[in-house]
Amino acid sequence: MFDVALASGGAQIALSTSSDDSHPPEHMIDGTDETFWTTTGLYPQEVIVRFQALMSINSVELSSYDVQNIALETSESDSIDSFEPLAEKEVERTDHQLQTVEVSVGERRAQCLRIIINSGYDHFVAVHRLKVNGKALHG
Amino acid sequence: MPTILRAKCIVAGDAGVGKSSICQVFHSDSAQFPKNYTMTTSVELLVKPVNIPDSRDQVEMYMYDSAGKEIFSENVIKFWDHPSVVMIVYDVTDETSFSSCIKWLERVRAMKSQTNIPGVLIANKIDLDQRRLISPKEGKDLAMSNGLEYFECSAKEMQNVDTPFFYMAHEFHKMYQERLQVYSSLA
Repeated sequence: MFDVALASGGAQIALSTSSDDSHPPEHMIDGTDETFWTTTGLYPQEVIVRFQALMSINSVELSSYDVQNIALETSESDSIDSFEPLAEKEVERTDHQLQTVEVSVGERRAQCLRIIINSGYDHFVAVHRLKVNGKALHG
Repeated sequence: MPTILRAKCIVAGDAGVGKSSICQVFHSDSAQFPKNYTMTTSVELLVKPVNIPDSRDQVEMYMYDSAGKEIFSENVIKFWDHPSVVMIVYDVTDETSFSSCIKWLERVRAMKSQTNIPGVLIANKIDLDQRRLISPKEGKDLAMSNGLEYFECSAKEMQNVDTPFFYMAHEFHKMYQERLQVYSSLA
């Protein structure tokens, strides 16, 4: 079991609805809390992460700020359509510390993960880190 | 690549005060003032980019020009979730429209009560000087006591229509910069 959403492990950002060049979505999958992705206004916002191969995933973890409602979806195919709902969650507000969002999913086959931020506690939200625990499926 | 922020601007106030005219004059770079009155019965969406001085950044203003007739308000409010900034408009020749401003402001702020929503109060139709009933002082006082910035304009004369939008775009950009500081301090 390891983090299959690391850029260094071949994961990529396939799509994002907002991007400040200084705080791109790639900052979520660079393996550190130091950098972050920010939304740039309006809701909902979304990001699609494509894993290097078809994975079996067990849990998703996010470090974020000011996220209120978040939904996760997965797709088994390489193209970024045909997503199926995975989970939806209300997140508690934190004051000057990162939110930790954890979603256990049992076992789910996924090539792509879609993160939808339906609402936030402020005009903008930040996601510092995305971690997806899983393993590659072979054959 | 410049950063493009997006702000949802709710434009509210009584019917006939000039909300649609203000939005259309701003949207068309003062090329178009609607000569005939058409009542807005729902929400008209207009988008206009505003450049932020001394930066490479831009704020796209999504103007939600909202019907002012009370009968439509229940429907209109459905479009107001997650407001970024707010513009409340009144007609300086119409006392009722002035006293309605608080009602409109409260409705918008109730959509996102925990969040600071920068706003402006617009005294429109200042070209009708002879018929003016609401003094600049009354307008300024109302704006100040409700945390709004006060602007006077005449959509018909295309006078000072852009300024309040620039102000809101600038405030929104400023909030973004402040949030970036917070996000950076969290790791």
